[in-house]
Amino acid sequence: MLAIQLAITGLQTGALYALTAVGFSLIFGSTRIFHFAHGAAFVIAAYFFYAAFGAGWGVIPAIGVSAFGAVAFGLLLDRLVYVPIQRHEGSFFTVFVASFGVGIAVQNVIGMIFGRGYVTVNTTLSRSVEVIPEVYVSPLAWIAIACAAVFLGGLGFFLKRTHTGMALRALADNPELVRTFGLNPRAIQAAAFAIGSVIVVPAAIITSATTGLSPAIGHHVMLISLAATIVGGIGSIPGTMLAGVMLGLAESLALLVVDTQWTEAVTFAILFAFIIIRPSGLLGRATAH
Amino acid sequence: MLKSLKITTAVALTALTLPAWAEDHTIGALFPLSGPNAVYGDVFMAGSDLAVEHINADGMLSGTMSIAYEDSQGLPQPAVVGMTKLVNVTGVPYTLSAFTGVSKAISTIGQRSSVVAVNGGGVGPDLAALGEYFWNVIPLVNLEVRAVVPYLTGEMGLKKMVLVYIDDPFGQAIESELETAFEGSDAELAEVLSVPVTAQQFSGVAAKVRSAKPDVVYVASYGAQQIQIVKQLRDNGVDAQIVSYSGYITPDALALPESDGMIVTGQAVDYASEDPVTKRFVTDFKARFDKDPTAYNVNYYNATLLYGLLAAALEKDGTEVTGENLLAKRLEMKTFDLVGGTVSFQDNGTLLSPIEVKQIKGGATETLDTVEIGG
Amino acid sequence: MEAYIYNLVNLIAIYSILAVTLNFIMGYAGIYSLAHAVFFGLGAYTSAFVAQNVSASILVSFPAAMLAAGVVSLALALPALRVRGEYFVAASLGLQVLSVTIYSEWKGFTGGIGGVLAIPPVNILGIDVFRPAAFAILSVTVLVLVLLIVNALVHSSFGRNLRAIRDSESAAASFGKNVPVIKTISVVISAALAALAGALYASYLSFINVESFTLDTSVLVMAMVIIGGTGTVAGPIVGAAILLILPSVISYFDFLPQTEIGSLQQIIYGLGMTLLMIFRPGGIVGRRSGT
Repeated sequence: MLAIQLAITGLQTGALYALTAVGFSLIFGSTRIFHFAHGAAFVIAAYFFYAAFGAGWGVIPAIGVSAFGAVAFGLLLDRLVYVPIQRHEGSFFTVFVASFGVGIAVQNVIGMIFGRGYVTVNTTLSRSVEVIPEVYVSPLAWIAIACAAVFLGGLGFFLKRTHTGMALRALADNPELVRTFGLNPRAIQAAAFAIGSVIVVPAAIITSATTGLSPAIGHHVMLISLAATIVGGIGSIPGTMLAGVMLGLAESLALLVVDTQWTEAVTFAILFAFIIIRPSGLLGRATAH
Repeated sequence: MLKSLKITTAVALTALTLPAWAEDHTIGALFPLSGPNAVYGDVFMAGSDLAVEHINADGMLSGTMSIAYEDSQGLPQPAVVGMTKLVNVTGVPYTLSAFTGVSKAISTIGQRSSVVAVNGGGVGPDLAALGEYFWNVIPLVNLEVRAVVPYLTGEMGLKKMVLVYIDDPFGQAIESELETAFEGSDAELAEVLSVPVTAQQFSGVAAKVRSAKPDVVYVASYGAQQIQIVKQLRDNGVDAQIVSYSGYITPDALALPESDGMIVTGQAVDYASEDPVTKRFVTDFKARFDKDPTAYNVNYYNATLLYGLLAAALEKDGTEVTGENLLAKRLEMKTFDLVGGTVSFQDNGTLLSPIEVKQIKGGATETLDTVEIGG
Repeated sequence: MEAYIYNLVNLIAIYSILAVTLNFIMGYAGIYSLAHAVFFGLGAYTSAFVAQNVSASILVSFPAAMLAAGVVSLALALPALRVRGEYFVAASLGLQVLSVTIYSEWKGFTGGIGGVLAIPPVNILGIDVFRPAAFAILSVTVLVLVLLIVNALVHSSFGRNLRAIRDSESAAASFGKNVPVIKTISVVISAALAALAGALYASYLSFINVESFTLDTSVLVMAMVIIGGTGTVAGPIVGAAILLILPSVISYFDFLPQTEIGSLQQIIYGLGMTLLMIFRPGGIVGRRSGT
């Protein structure tokens, strides 16, 4: 029973990981920008929801505020930081450091405004019910899994069937090709940031009700996103989703064999092993060099 | 030292406010002022600041007393840096400390430089053994565990316990204390689960707790984390009685709906006592903060007042106020009139106090039982 | 006031050693490691352990720290040989997170979150060095030695090989350079010298615990290198000095609430990193405007 319970818990965690990681994977895969501040987008989305919901705005307007915050942050960062750096042909590392700096600043600004402790959005949806004997699932778990299915499915459809989506996929391999189709690579890049940022919103909101928020949570979010992107294979959206779910499951099921404090280490042991043994990841084509 | 010279130089140096020159008394304090445990810092300061106000209002000391606060964040590392500054730069003879990890970390510096550190917040039993310069004005948690286990297994008939504890010196101390308390009894400590200091995701832990089918779950953590543990245990279908210790009694935790019905322990303070120190404290505290004081407020009031009493006695003797002399004076005076009555220290520098077993009901605590603990 | 300045000198010297050694692999070999705090920690724990159980002599505890860090750094060299760029950053992150877990759990060696208490002061020729002023002489001496070693290496043929690898690994290999060996050696040297900072830190504070060796420290040290100037001699020291003096400067502004100083400091250095990357990626000391 414990194994089933942990598997379901892991699935919920994994769904959230997949939703978060896919945004980073999309941005990184298509623009090659090492968007380390993706964790900050998550934090902003979560706290905007927390503030709006706490102010009695109702769920739907609060979701709107949250989505607005995430998208605005992604677009501004692209426009004000990444584009200027790209203009002088910044290396991967220059972009990474700039992004990292933004992440630190956002974490502390949020901390000054909302406090550095944990905050939680109170809802009865986080209260579990017994579905089969001794297995408890909260409504939020179903919501998380449903959100993952809907949003990730939608993203897949968008990337395969729409012009913008196809252009996004082409951007990584051949920016010139994008241009010959009459599309502006810069606009496509902005689209990648908008979509990549907005897709963290469901995960951010669900997290705010289940495990609670702290400004420092962005760090963890980013590490997981990075791990899922690399384990899944850079440039592969399905790979990232798969890896996200897998890492969530591994973290939870690891409790069957190891103590609680080792769960985070499990994720990073998997990451480390992949980089050494199979840098191209689960479904990746690109090589590491 | 020549008094007139001291005064002249003090006036000349007021701009620099170097405490070593003035007759003013400065003591240090290492409290969590930022970070997830900052909520405790406010509670501690409410007590210590009120004591400073009373000491200054009474003219108990020859100069004005003040507290130099350093932010420990409740963590050992920043605390050591802060303590180094207090000892070497500010030059204080006496510091207030809080939190088990912080207290253990700074005790070496205190011992090395003969600076007294007084704890009124950390409750790890190891705090009793940190050397003669480390004092506790709070009963340590081993007393709380000793009081609550018989109550749970006896009066309440809860025989099977699971412990969820934070993996730091405090949590480890509770763990070993509980192991001892259950030894040779008919009740059992079925499982112990440790959680890392930074963890916030406890659904997996909750699943393991549930599968052990306990009658009672002991939660030993602090700050924001303990609230998350309790909430997520309840969210994930753990219905068993939850028990915690004095550190759980904070406004945030009491306000959590999931806390309702929990058993907590804490030192018993007789707020209705007729002695003038207690009366003045309770009256002024209520007037200032518009609420009833908690044990933490009392402890840091007492810790600060204790300095006032010792330093005043030293001044009367014409002895310099140093850490060494404060220690000697405490050993000489033995008993002190503090909030809650006349108290005496054990030889290891720790106060004894009766323990209350309480239940959380509607955001407040109700006393179920008071347990006297022998030395 | 004097004690305060010596205290600051000691911290700057210790962090400068970390920044200089990180700069050695980052600036000259192109190995962007976010796991430098691992070796800082290992040096600190090892020297503390040796000082408590074997001897507090600088001739025993410091070499032991270097040896331990040098050996464990092979775990970082392994991914460095396999992958580059973002993959290596991720690998070093993985190593950093794993190490923090191990440092928290291996209580016999590290004391867990409770840390190692009462570390004896370092002993040089029979004299215990622990007062801030005396310790400042020691820490600055070690910093100068580290600088001399790194500088000598950078200007030797080994340093030229490193730069060749940084610029183009395949070109260096085609010139007959043994790329894996050169990379491995540079990582080992960097880690072993970083362990000296750990050993100094442990004996200076007489208390260490895992909080000093987390990802935040790795990031802080990286920020020191970048803000000062990657691949320059003076850059890492300038960066370390700026980032360590910053909090004291901020605390002079009385109107700022005490509790926000930590946050303000982090905001300033976070934004500082971002702005530097946009306008001056070479850092404060860096000569070039681009990379």
